[in-house]
This record gives sequence, C-alpha cells and structure tokens, in this order.
Amino acid sequence: MKEIPNMDELLNSFIDGELPARQQTEVQRLVHHEEKIAQRLQQLQKCKMLLRSLPVAEAPPQILENVKASLARKAQIVEQPLVFDERAGTRHLLGRKLFAAAAMLGLVSIFAAVVYIIVAPTIPPGPVAIERRDLLPKVDVIEPEPSLIAAPFSGRLELQTSDLPAVVGVINRAIEENIPSDEWIASDQSNVKEPHALICSSESFNLLLAELGNIWDKLDSATLFVDTEVFGEQVVVEAVTAEQISGIVNQDDSKRRVEVAKDFAVLNNIAEHLPGREILTAIDETSVGLIIPPKPVLTSNQKTTKKSATKTGAEKNVRLIIKVKGSN
Amino acid sequence: MDIYASKRRINIDDAVLVSRCWQGDSAAMEELILKYQNRIYNVVLKICADPDDAAELTQETFVKVIENIDDFEGRSGFYTWVFRIAVNLTLNYCQRNVRLGFRSLDASEAKAEYSSQSNLALKEFLSDDSSPDPAALAQNKELYEIAVESLMKLGDAQRAVVVLRDIEGMNYAEIAKVLDIELGTVRSRLSRARGKLRQILEAILQ
Repeated sequence: MKEIPNMDELLNSFIDGELPARQQTEVQRLVHHEEKIAQRLQQLQKCKMLLRSLPVAEAPPQILENVKASLARKAQIVEQPLVFDERAGTRHLLGRKLFAAAAMLGLVSIFAAVVYIIVAPTIPPGPVAIERRDLLPKVDVIEPEPSLIAAPFSGRLELQTSDLPAVVGVINRAIEENIPSDEWIASDQSNVKEPHALICSSESFNLLLAELGNIWDKLDSATLFVDTEVFGEQVVVEAVTAEQISGIVNQDDSKRRVEVAKDFAVLNNIAEHLPGREILTAIDETSVGLIIPPKPVLTSNQKTTKKSATKTGAEKNVRLIIKVKGSN
Repeated sequence: MDIYASKRRINIDDAVLVSRCWQGDSAAMEELILKYQNRIYNVVLKICADPDDAAELTQETFVKVIENIDDFEGRSGFYTWVFRIAVNLTLNYCQRNVRLGFRSLDASEAKAEYSSQSNLALKEFLSDDSSPDPAALAQNKELYEIAVESLMKLGDAQRAVVVLRDIEGMNYAEIAKVLDIELGTVRSRLSRARGKLRQILEAILQ
C-alpha cells in the first residue's frame, strides 16, 4: 500500500462528512481496495461511536433560578456606590503603604545605628566643644617674637670684701632706697652672712646696680652665677663688674643672657691671666664677633627716686641673691 | 431526535429570541436559557467531568450571555457564541485546576483498573466488525465508564474538539469558531484525539 500522508485526518474527515464529494468518493475507493485503510477507518469509527453513545446529561433544574439570582445580586452590587468603596480601599491601601514605609524607615534607622555603633570611633566622655570658625570674629593675632618675651633673670652674686660692714651697709641702704620693700627679702640685715634675696623689676635692679657701683673698689672679688635653662647648670662670671651684671640682666631672653654671661666669663678670665693689659680698651666697638654689653645708666651721687614696680607696671623679672662674704 | 435537525430549528428561533432580548424581554432570556442549558451542561460536563462544577460553569455561562447580549452582533450564530463562552469558561477552569494541583497532568498516564466485565465488553466492542447499535451501546454501563475515563485522559484541547464534534455534533467550521482556531487545526487536532483515544482503549485491554 502506498503510504498517504495524513491518512488519519482524511479518514476522520471522511467519517465526519467533512470532505468534498470528490475526495469522499476517492476515500471510499481506497477503503474498498485497501484492507488496512478499511481497518483503520473502522477503528476510528468505533472511537466516534463510543463517544456518541455517551448519554446526554440533563442540566440541574435550578440553573435558571440560579442564573436569575446571580444576575439580581450583580445588579445590587452595581447599584451600590462603588466610588465610596473605591475611596475606602484607596485609603486602606495608602495606610498600608505608609505603614510599610514607616516600618522600612525604622528598620533602616536601627540598621544605621547599629552600623554607627560598630564603625564610628569612640569619643571620650565629657563636654564636646564644637568650634565654629566661620562664626568667630576674625582677629589679627600678632604673635610676639620669641626673643621679645622677657624671661626672668635668675642668678646669684657673691661678693667678697675685707671691709664687710661698710659694704653690707651700702648694700642695705641701696636696697632700701631703690628696691620696694615687697621686692626683696632679707632675714636679718644686721647679720651680714645672711644673703639678700631680690625679686624685682629690671628697672629697680638697674637703679640698685647704679648705687652699688661705688662699692666695687672695696671688693676683693665679685662672682656672678647665672642660672641657665638647664636645671642645676650655671654660667660663672668671675671678676664681674656692675656694668657687666647690668649687661647680662638687661638681655631680653635667657638664652641671650647666658651667651653674654659666657662672653664676659671668657673675657674676665683672660684679663685675670694677663694682668696689666686692658683688654676691654683694646676692643673697638666696631669689632666683629665681640659682644658689647650695654652700659648701665648710672646716676652717680644723685639720689635715686624710689618707684614701685607695681605702679610703673614693670614686671619682676630679676631674681638675684646677693651674698657678701668677708675676706680672711 | 436528529441533533442536526433540531439545531437548525433552534437557529431560526434564536434570531427572534435574541432580538427580543435586545428589547429587554426577560421571558426571551429565560427561553434561551431553557433551550440551551442541557446542551451546554452536557458539553461542559464531558470536558470537566464534575457535575457540580459543570452546573456552576453552565450557570456562569448564561449569566455572561445575558450580561453581554447587547454586545452580540450576530456575525456568528448565537449557538456558536454561547458555546464559545461555555467552552472558554470550562477550559479556563481546567487550566486553573491543573495550576492549583486539583488535577494532575499525569492523570492521563495513570493506568485505571477495570473489572473483567468491562474489559470483555470493550474487547467485544473493538473486535466486532459490524457496526453496533448506538442505543444498545449506550445501555452498556461498562463501556460508558471506560469511555468517560478515556475521554478524560485526553488533553483539554483535544477533549474539547472531540466533545464538540462527537457529542455536541458540531461541524468543523462551527468548532473552529467556538475554539477560535483554524479549520485545518480542527481537522488535525480531531485526528490526533481519536488516534490517541484508540491507543488508550487498546492499552486498557493489554
């Protein structure tokens, strides 16, 4: 038998009477001549017959009433104001959305707080000052030069004389006249062995020094110990003069003061080893590298006027201990 | 009763009833329901196989028909329009049941157990070269059970075509309109459905 494509479709259409008359005749001829086709046709017809033999089911009698009831219910629903329901639904939906958004924000906040606690650096307890530089008035601050800051002079002056009472007397009188009483300490003026402790202004000290310049002829030795910034370390200026003391004390800062003291110490030491030579006179003021100490203003025999450091506003930047010893 | 003859008569009446429905005649609507409810119910039942669901789907079909009667333009017959609504609702119901797991896709693969009497009746039916009397065949309860079970083992689309053709008696053109498919698709789908049905029946005997 020659295989015909879609034979089943052709046979089914033949069974159902859906073929044109010419094809219908052709299929009939095939069925008569081909036993297999006839057999297949019978199989398909049996299937059709089996389904057609199924009894027709009758619908439940209440269908019509149910349809009417259903239509009536729908009509009632349509008559109700749907707009109100839609609005209520919209409000409900909006409320749920807002609640969900709030819950989400809360969760994010908690998460952020947890992350901040874990990640953020710890701040020490106590008040926290927040500087708002943009709010502060702009002030031009003039920074003082380090050299201009007046560091107090601290030192000790040891005088040795064969005429101890006279020297002590001059010193006491000079202190009384030139140094305010609250700027010097002397435990007992009659006791010459007790040192004088002065804490006074440089101005008062210059007046005192000018007064003491007259006793230098009576001194066997005068040694100035200048305290440095290093604790316990001193610069010792032997054979120091009143002018040199003034030059050292009147320096602006301690570093400069120490340098001048060292220079004077060297000069005085050389002078000691080369007696008869006036080194200082040989020094020209224009000489390079040598330090010329400022000369104190001496008032000679003219009586000085006692001024209070507090009144003049001068700072107490001289701390000197004057110790006078007698020569053996 | 000749199903085709009754169908032609109904079609003539349908046009009058539909026009009365358009005028708001509720009696005409009731008459349409009463005329078609058994046929719709029968087709729906053969596709979905559940009497309660079939009743509900039939009811839903008529509700939709009445709600949309004004949209019916008369380009196709009222008869095919009603069946189109019914079959679409039923096929949607079947798909929904499959999705929800109420009906397994593998149901067609499950081999049903039949009594020896049923098997014997089927064997006689298939081997008999003569054409059996349809009325006598309808009385055979064993074959009825096998036929229903075999029909349910077809896919939804194939079952719908077979039901519309062999149970409702529609021609191919009407089936194409109801299912909204091409005429050639109807032909091939029906051919495959009957071929598969034959295989199912033979498998029962083995």
